Amino acid sequence: MDAKLVNPFVDAFTAVMPQIGFQDIKRNKISVCEHAVTSKGVTVLVGFTKEIKGNVAYNMTENTAKLIASTMMMGMPVDQFDDMAQSAISELSNMLTANAATNLSSLGYNVDISTPSLSVGDAFKVKVSSEAYLSVEMDVGGGHLVEIDIAVQ
Amino acid sequence: MRKYSVLVVDDSKVIRFMIAGILAGTEFEICDSAENSAEAVEKYKLLQPDLVTMDMNLPDGNGIECSRQILAINPKAKIVMISAMKDASLITQGQEAGISSFLQKPVKAQVLIETLQLLAKNGKGTPERVKNAYVKPFMKVLKKNLFTLAGINSKMSLEVNKAEFLEIDGIAVVIGLTGSPVGRAILKMDKETMQKFSQKIVGDQIELSEDEIIDNIEEAANIIVGRGVSVINDSVKDKEMRITPPGTIYGSNIRMDNSNVLSFNITAMTDLGEFKMNVGFAEGE
Repeated sequence: MDAKLVNPFVDAFTAVMPQIGFQDIKRNKISVCEHAVTSKGVTVLVGFTKEIKGNVAYNMTENTAKLIASTMMMGMPVDQFDDMAQSAISELSNMLTANAATNLSSLGYNVDISTPSLSVGDAFKVKVSSEAYLSVEMDVGGGHLVEIDIAVQ
Repeated sequence: MRKYSVLVVDDSKVIRFMIAGILAGTEFEICDSAENSAEAVEKYKLLQPDLVTMDMNLPDGNGIECSRQILAINPKAKIVMISAMKDASLITQGQEAGISSFLQKPVKAQVLIETLQLLAKNGKGTPERVKNAYVKPFMKVLKKNLFTLAGINSKMSLEVNKAEFLEIDGIAVVIGLTGSPVGRAILKMDKETMQKFSQKIVGDQIELSEDEIIDNIEEAANIIVGRGVSVINDSVKDKEMRITPPGTIYGSNIRMDNSNVLSFNITAMTDLGEFKMNVGFAEGE
């Protein structure tokens, strides 16, 4: 897949996260992967289609998910990764992908996105829609990482 | 911009206040509120609001009964039930009465606004209509293709999903639905069913690796969901639904959040095991 397609997703992350309270966003490594993603604990899949087709997985530990949910909810304590926290992370994934879709359209690719699917479990596998995909690690601060896996057919 | 009028039926002043706060500055305007069932029916008759939000517990009766009376005045009345409990029997009874949507207290601002917007624009978006237009086609296609792909017969069932999450033990292929309405379709099965089904598709002579088994299930799901969407697009002419490529989740004890979608469970009971499909749409659709 074309490496330039990673930028719309990275830019979306860098633009959206400060709006929900994470000011210092860093991009770590980018790699091309070929095996199924191993979930860190919480993984959200969002599909897209139209002029390019694929899906994106947002992969993070439950601790990171709790921190993000708490920050999104104005610092409300999140002890358990419960319904409310899960729906915050789903909503964030929706915002990130919608924002990436806007960025993609400025590159000339119109896409529509699907409803996010958030899964929680222990080291389960997630297979994105193409054999090779790009994996970007984003640092939201305090050692909390969100891996974005982007697959385009 | 024309404002949509909303009648708020709730005996709690706090809830009425909260709803007013959510709707302030939107395209919705509260024309009045009612504290009990009798007052609600009387005010509905008088004001003919575009939309009604309805509490379940009212001092002189319940919200379902009150909705029945309103729907008797205007069968096209658009009523959103907002209740503390949102269980299956309440939804079933409410659907039968003709209530359009069900939300749970405390209702999130965005969810309420989106639900009202959909109702205001799309007419009565009852789960019953969603089920007939968008879910039943998947049930037929699943049955047909399990037979075409692997020669297996199945006994089908369909129900509204009541669980907050889907349990995955084995494999789940997730295919996004875009266009109108937006949602997702998931085909899931346990490990044993996945192996047997995959083997049945290719025949006993060929030995399959785990990756190939997963690929087969993914391809089967893609075919089934793709055909289901074609059937829907053929029958619903003015809108077009599309599918995204599949994403596949496998492992044990995985929970997939299902709380923000109106979803339906389709089960195909076969000799190989159970094939489960969950078809869900963003809430309020």
